[in-house]
Parts: sequence; structure tokens; C-alpha cells
Amino acid sequence: MPTVFVNGQEITIGDKERLNGIQVAERAGVDIPRYCWHPGLSVVASCRMCLVEAGKKDSATGKITMQPKVVPACQTPATDGTVFVTNSPKVIEARAMVEEDLLLRHPVDCPICDKAGECSLQDYHFEHGRKERRADIQPFTSRRRELGDTITLFVDRCVMCTRCVRFTREISGTSELMVINRGAHEEIDVFRDENGQLEFPLDNKLSGNVADICPVGALGDKDFLYQQRVWFMKSHDNVCAGCSTGCSIKVEENQDHVYRLKPRTNPHVNQWWMCDEGRYGFHHVHDASRVTEPRRLEKTGYVSADWSTLPAELSARLKKAGRLAAVLSPHLTVEEAYLLAQYVKSLDPTAVLALGPVPVEGTDEKFRNGFVIHAEKCPNRRGVERIVSSLGGELLNWGDFLARAETEAFGAVWVTGGYRTPWNDDGAVGSLANSKLLIVQDCFASPLWERADYQLPSATFAEREGSYVNYQDRLQSFKWAIRPPQGVKTDGQLYWQLLGRAGLYKAADVLEEIGREIPYFAAALGGVADVGVDLKVNQIA
Amino acid sequence: MADKPSILTDEMIAEIKAFLPRYPSKQAVTLPALHIVNEKLRYVPLRAVVEIAQLLELHPSQVQDTLTFYGYFKQDAPAGRCRLWVCRSISCALRGGDELLDHLAHSLGVKPGETTADGRITLEYAECLGACEHAPCVLANEKLIPSVSHQQADEFVQTVK
Amino acid sequence: MPEFKPVLLANVGKPESYTRKVYEQTGGYQALRKVLKTLSPKDVQEQTKSSGLRGRGGAGFPTGLKWTFLPKDHPGPIYFCLNADESEPGTFNNRILMEDDPHQVLEGLIISCFATNSAAAYFYMRCEYPLAYKRICQAVAECYEAGYLGKNILGSPYSLDIHVHRGAGAYICGEETGLIESLEGKRAWPRIKPPFPAVEGAFRKPTVVNNVETVACVKQIFDRGVDWFKSIGIPPDPNNPRDAGSYGPKLYCLSGHINKPGCYEAPLGITTTELIEKFGGGIWKGRKAKAAIPGGISMGLLKASEFHCKLDFNDPGKFGCLGLGTAAVVVMDETVRMVDFLLNSCRFFSHESCGQCTPCREGTSWATKMMTRIKHGKGRLKDLDLLLEIAENMGIMPGTTICGLADGAAWPMKNCIKKFRDELEIYIKSTNPSGWMETAAVPALQLLDIH
Repeated sequence: MPTVFVNGQEITIGDKERLNGIQVAERAGVDIPRYCWHPGLSVVASCRMCLVEAGKKDSATGKITMQPKVVPACQTPATDGTVFVTNSPKVIEARAMVEEDLLLRHPVDCPICDKAGECSLQDYHFEHGRKERRADIQPFTSRRRELGDTITLFVDRCVMCTRCVRFTREISGTSELMVINRGAHEEIDVFRDENGQLEFPLDNKLSGNVADICPVGALGDKDFLYQQRVWFMKSHDNVCAGCSTGCSIKVEENQDHVYRLKPRTNPHVNQWWMCDEGRYGFHHVHDASRVTEPRRLEKTGYVSADWSTLPAELSARLKKAGRLAAVLSPHLTVEEAYLLAQYVKSLDPTAVLALGPVPVEGTDEKFRNGFVIHAEKCPNRRGVERIVSSLGGELLNWGDFLARAETEAFGAVWVTGGYRTPWNDDGAVGSLANSKLLIVQDCFASPLWERADYQLPSATFAEREGSYVNYQDRLQSFKWAIRPPQGVKTDGQLYWQLLGRAGLYKAADVLEEIGREIPYFAAALGGVADVGVDLKVNQIA
Repeated sequence: MADKPSILTDEMIAEIKAFLPRYPSKQAVTLPALHIVNEKLRYVPLRAVVEIAQLLELHPSQVQDTLTFYGYFKQDAPAGRCRLWVCRSISCALRGGDELLDHLAHSLGVKPGETTADGRITLEYAECLGACEHAPCVLANEKLIPSVSHQQADEFVQTVK
Repeated sequence: MPEFKPVLLANVGKPESYTRKVYEQTGGYQALRKVLKTLSPKDVQEQTKSSGLRGRGGAGFPTGLKWTFLPKDHPGPIYFCLNADESEPGTFNNRILMEDDPHQVLEGLIISCFATNSAAAYFYMRCEYPLAYKRICQAVAECYEAGYLGKNILGSPYSLDIHVHRGAGAYICGEETGLIESLEGKRAWPRIKPPFPAVEGAFRKPTVVNNVETVACVKQIFDRGVDWFKSIGIPPDPNNPRDAGSYGPKLYCLSGHINKPGCYEAPLGITTTELIEKFGGGIWKGRKAKAAIPGGISMGLLKASEFHCKLDFNDPGKFGCLGLGTAAVVVMDETVRMVDFLLNSCRFFSHESCGQCTPCREGTSWATKMMTRIKHGKGRLKDLDLLLEIAENMGIMPGTTICGLADGAAWPMKNCIKKFRDELEIYIKSTNPSGWMETAAVPALQLLDIH
């Protein structure tokens, strides 16, 4: 096992690991500053911010020979005996010079720049920069240039790290971004026509990522632009509910308002990326048309119901209803689906469980680096399917369930939604016409909602707690990021109460139960890591 | 999208394609293609960049990225019939290169990079033309004019049609 | 020491010297025949190594040694790039060779390609040499006609194609990996090393990049012998274990304030004084010399009192210069103001910086802006210290940049400020009497863009 030295600290790395100086220093708790290096992109070593001193320790004699020059840590492999020094006067001076160089022509835009608070230029200036400005170049404010529908460019803030250009060439494979001109006149741009209008704009479905990887405020995410200061936001680990890829994400909110989603590093699922559909697919959480009032249908019409009495009322009515059925949406977490199924079965052991409609749009889209946007536009079909088939005895899909509902007059049907876009129609209403009691739990009005006997407003993905299983059978768990709007009780909390459990719904406890009861989920027992757990691990036996 | 007439003529396309077998990659034909177009049109309009990119199976951004790195290709309008490069590097500067450039700028009424109104001459500055024994020197299209005095420069300008 | 007779320039001046007919009148392509008939590529590599030939493009790396870096038994193809991008200010010897003796260059190139088992050679020619381009293309065509190029050259198993590839006006294309990137059709941003071109170069294949004059020397070595080559020049300095010697004839480009600017051939090691007196006809206009660039502007400056410096690979370093470079000597007389020299130098490098790495892109641009401010009478003494700091911190020597352009930009700054500090201080004080002592940052001048 190779041993590497960072500022005197011994770090052991794996035999097969291929790490550079930055990665190995990270393990030693040392953060080497850098702009152009990114673990997901090619190494160009052009920013020169990661310069360190490197050398070799002779394992026999213990003698250390350092190279006379500074070297970029990003392009120096960590092999057995490699010595890195990141805090010598030479290194400190080299860094300070690079930082000063980048600030020479940088516009003084911090007060109006979105990146403030999460800007590498700011952070490194604080930690590694000079104490005073020596440049005799006049400060100014940046020009702005549109690159496409999702991203805007503040031209003069760019530090020419070329991460964005490399992203469009290596990751999305669409090559829209380019560098123009030479030397200090270089700028980022896209191809324009003779009138300067966009001819080949930045328009691939991974475009939002370039604003993430931009180390300064040059690339702005138009959806987020000027919406919120980053230091006011709290970041919550979550999982994207856009499709079955199940990218690990962060939901960033302030006072229960979501302002943006960002990808979270997960080497097994999305590496460092997420697609635009997922990234910008959160506005429905705060849409004005969201339903937020529980209601009961009476002869005079809908009347407002009270959450404090509603659970008991529902249980009472369902107990006498006869044959029960529950439609579990692929937007529910595994735990929520399990609890609802349990509840319904506890009232009627012959209750029918079905999987809600699985939305499919187009075909899977694959990008140059292997990233896939799946056509299946829900996060948890596999997880909910397994709950349905394990607890329901068979896997009944939406179409077949509707057919059954037409002939079998159910006493009560509990339908869960949580879809972002319209998902049921008058046909579904017709199929369920024979059911005596219809409970619809959803985020937005729909034909079914308008016919429900009980309208229960539901949580969106940002308010849920639990786990999803993605297309690779990887289970990822997350906690809620924001509280739901006034009037909405989260699905998990409602089912928890209906089952008579005390206190607050704790998804982790439910997952332990599920893991013990259903073999498919056994690998989730004992806690789930940040990057999730591969459920297939236990399927071999 | 309406069918715009092609900027690249069949002749240019054939010339560009003739370069393809010389290199293991199509992208390597970028500079030869730019030169071919520049020679015929005296500039490389953006539409030509798109067509070159199509020929070489590249994104137009990739060709434009390369093009703008070099000082040689004009894009907004054709250069004058004579492109006058005046060297401003050290050997020529020591023998009056900067003053020669200023003189020409004044007498032609243009700034370096600009073309005279009659379309005859584009004045440009160049870095070391590699003819230092003839300083100060001027490259007029393909012709190197050695040891140029202000008077000789004026005389030459007269001969440009 | 017997009077040295030019060999590299031997054909220059003859009528139609650029034709195969004239070239072959004095033994042209005999060396190629001999090599293909009697030597293996390894033999050629070994002999070139023994000759002590060092690259003439500016870095002076031993040529034979460079060739041995190619991986043995590589399935190929291996590519050879001939660097004819000659753009170092003051330099024009490659131009003269290509215009007036293109076949010498081609013969040397073919031999070098044979030595390195190259499948194809890309002759990267800067676009500002239209006559050289024409003559080289004609010469290449003549070679194909004569069977010196193409399949099975002169009946041997060796085949070679030469493709002439025109540049488009960028100094950085003279840097070997910048050249390779430009050849591949991209912007000429030099690559990080490792991997070195010999391992992964053009089109990701092993590649050798050599200068025009270097391959011309190769032809001469295989014409006249290794011993002949070693009999010219200066053996390694016993006091410098890193000196690989300075063997062979060298083309010196002499320009600036002398009476007879031109390209002159002499054994490596001639001094600036000798060059000016023997070949240059002395300083023009009856003036006295003040300073000279020893090997292209990147190498820095020699004061007139340092003109006894031998222009070989070893001596210039002793006088604070970067090295021999392209051996382009540009002489400045006593009327030259060093502030003008330095501004011209800084302007050149900021214009040519490829822009990829921070210290060079920003450092050269900052230096030019400062020099412009100083020239226009708003300089301060402290600026000189700041310029020195910028220069000390950029380059591959400290390790802060990807390629040596930054070192080339830094050396004139370092040499000029160190060797002519008094003059620069007087200039600053006299042009900015009210502000030269200021130490705080000054507001920038509203100047026209000087790029």
C-alpha cells in the first residue's frame, strides 16, 4: 500500500488508486486551492493555483529529495514515497501571485454577483491572497452576454479555467462553448451569426452544470440569478425526483422556500452532474395552484376538513367500507408506500394494492461521458413496485387496476399522486365510478381530485422523507428539506398517525422494518450511506 | 430553415477535401481549410466557418475557437486587395518600424486593422516577419518589401490598384 | 585556426540555388543515399548523438538524445514535425535556408525521419514566409519526382511523405506542443508534460519536433562526418557538468544598429564583438554600441561591456542571459532608450501569450500596461521592483507556467532592469518628477488599447 507524505503527515492510499496531489492532500485534511482542476474533467493544469513543492522520500534511506521547481498538484501523481509540501514560503508566494494575477482584471462585482459566498476567488483571496492591491488597473463592472436559455455569462469575471468548455466537449459532448481570441483578450462565447445573435446557443440538457463548476461568478444560472444570497440558504441532501436516474442532489432553501437544486457527488449514480429537467424541476413546489386544504365532499359541496380529526374519521369510514384498494404512486418513498400498504392491509387483509401510473417521456438520453437521463420520469418505480408485489401479493399496474375497478366495486380506493404534471383523466374517473369512497392524496387538482370524497393535499419531493430506489437498484435515503405549506400534512406523517404510532414519522425506523420484512431491501439494514446502497448486493443468494 | 446559398464553392470544397488524406484526423484540416477560404474571399465569414465545420465533422464553435486564436483571418469584411503588414518587433523598431506604421496610418487615414475606404489596402501590424536584415520591412500580400523608407512606402502605396 | 568556410550557407547566393539541379551539382542527396544504403535508423541516431548536435530552435537540447526518447518497437505511426514557425524577434536564418537552399533542409529532414522511423513529416511553416513556402513546396515536388520521397525511397524499404502545413500568425506555434496542437487544428495552447511528445505527441502518437537549422546540420553531419562536426565549436565546459558542449557551425542572424545586417555562419562560440566587427561592419552611423540581444529577444540583454561573451550554449548564462536561443543578435546603439526596448519586448510577449496559464497571461499583460504607464511619464521607482517580482515568478524555471514563453518574457525584463536600472530610474524621475516616489497603487491611465 503506497505511502504518501503531505506536510509531514503520512497518508496510505490503496494499491489500485490513482490519485493526484490535490486528492491525497484532501485525505490529509489539507485543501489545495485550484480553479481549473475538477475530478470529472481532463487535467489541464492551466490556472497554476494548485502549485506545490513535490519530491520523493527514499524508502531505504529516508532521505527526501525535493524538486527545485513548484509543480501543479493536479498533474502530480501520488505514488509510493511521494512527498508534497503545501505550506512552504515558495508555495505561499506562488499562490499569492496567481491570486493577485486573477484579481488584476477582475471586475469589482461582489456586491452584485451571485457567486459571492461560494466563490473560489473570494475564498482563496481571503486565505491565500495578498494583503493589499498593487495593481494600477482601473476597477470596472462586468459585461454580460447571453449564451442560451439557461445560462448567462458575465464575461469579465471569467478566470479562463476552461472548465465549462471542457464540460461541453467531454461530458455533454455538445461542444457549444468555446474560447475566443488569444492571451489577455480571451473570452468564453458560443457561436453567433453576423449580427451577434445566438446561432448555436448553449442548449444541451446538462447545461446547468457549467454554472456549478464555474469557480467564479462568470457563468450565472438564469433560474437562480439574483433570487437569493447563498449565505441565507440551508443545504439539504436529497434525491432528485425527476427520473429513475435518481441523481443525488442538494435542496437549497431559505425559510422553507426552495431556491435551487444542485447535484451532490455520487460516484455510483451521477458523479458530479444533474440534468436541467431535474435541476429546474422544483418550481411546482411553490406553485400557486398547489392544493393545500384537506376537504371532504358533502352534499352541499366540498368543506374544509380538520387534520386533527381527519385521521380518526378516515379510519372509521374505511373500517366499514368493505373491499379496500390503494394506488401507490412511484413518487412515494419506499417507507411511505410501505406504511400506506400496511395501513390499508390492517383494515382489510384482502385489500388490493396497485402501482400508480409510471410516466414515460421519450427515450433514455445518453451523453458522451455515460450520463443518462431516463425516459421514466419518476424516482421510485422499483421501490414502490416491490412494496406492491410483496405486500399485495402481485404487481398490479395502473391500467390493470382501473380495469379491475370497473368490474369489482371497491368499497374505498385511496389514490396517491405527487406527480409534477397532469397524470389522470376522465377515463380514470370513469373506471373508478363504481368505487363507493374515493380518497385522493395529491399536490395539484386533477379530474380524480375533483371527484374525490376526500381531498388530501400531499407533500412534494422536497417535503418528503424516506428512500427511493433508482434504475440501478440503488436505494438512497434523504430527510425533508422544507416544511410543507400550511394545510399540508406530509404523506409519511399521515400514515404514521393512521397506524397509531406515536410521535413523528421517522423514515429510518420504517426502513429497518422493511429491511427485515422484505429481502429485496435487506442491504439497507443498519443504515444507508450518503451515496446510497446497492440492493442487488444481497440478491445473489 | 431557408436554403442559404453555400459560401464555399465546389472548387473550395474540393481543395479542402484534398487535404483530408494527409492527416489522421479531420480536425487537422481546419487551418488548411481556413487558408483556402481566406485566399479566395480575403476573409472567413461566419457562414464559411459553419460550412467548414460541417465538412470536417466539427461543431462550428471548435472551428471558430481555432480561427480567433490566430491574427491572420478577418471575419467581419474582406480585407483590402493589398494587406500591408508592417513589422513592429525589436529589429524593425530599432530602425523605425513604429514610425513607419504611424506614417502609413496617417497617410492612408486608417488605424492598424482597418481598410481604406476604396478597398485597396488593409493596414496591419505584424510581429517579427523574420526579415530583420531588411528592417524596417513590410509584407504586402505575398511580397516582402525590404528596408522601407517613408518615401518608398508612399511610392508603393501608389502602385496598389 | 583555419578560416571557417560556410557549409550551411554554401549554396546561398548561387543562381537557382533552390532547385534540385543546382543542389545536386555539389553532392546533394549523396548523404541520403549513403544513409539509406549503409545505415540503420539506430546507427543514424547513435551518430547524431555522438556528434554532439544540439537543437538550433532555441532550447539547445541534444538532438540525438531527443530521438532516443521515442518508444522502441512502437507499432506506429511515428510523426516528425519540422518546426519552421520561426517567429523569435531578430531571427531569420530558417527563412534563408528555406528560401535559398530548401533541398538541404529536405535532405536533412528525410535523414532525420529515417532515423526516427517516422511515417510522415509535417513541415509546419509560418504563414508570413510566402516565398519560403513556395520554394519548399516546389522542392518537395522535385523530391517526389526524383524518388527521394514517397514509397520505397531510392529502392529502400523506407517510405516517407512530407506535408507542408501553414501556420496563421502565432509565435506560440513555435513551442513544440503548441505546434502539435496547432497542427491538430486547435488553438495553439501548449500541453502539460508529461506526457512528452516522444511518447504521446501529434494525434496521440510518438512525435519528434526539430528545427529547420537542426536538420540542415544533420545533413551536413552525414555528408562530412561526426568528427568533422566535432572539430568545429567548443567542447563541454569542464566547470559545468551540465554543459553538453557547443559543436558545429551556427547561423548567426545579425540585425539592428550595425552596418551590414544579415545571416552569417561561424563556428559556435563567436563573440558578439567579433560578429559585429567581422561580419556586421561595425556599429552604424559611427556610433557606439550600448547593448545587444544575444539570441532572440527571449534571451535577454548583454551590456556593451559584456560583448566578449561567447555565443555558444554555455557562456550567455554566465552573463545572466537565458541562453543562446536562436543566436539572433540584435544590436542597439547608444541612442536607444532602454524604456523603449523594454516596452517593445513586453508588448511582444503580451501579444503572443497564448493565455492559457495565469502567471503568463496576466503577468505579461500587467507588465505591458506598467511599461506603457512608465513610458508616458507616470512611472514610479517602485514599479521596477514590481516588474522584477512579476518576472522572477513566471516561467518554467520556477515552475509556475506550462511553457517557456513566460521565461522569454521575463528575461528581457530581468536583464534590462538589473543591467540598466540607473537609466530606467533616471527616466522615471525625470518624466514623473511629482510622482516617482509614490508607493501606493496609482489609478490607471485611460490609454488606447495597445494590443
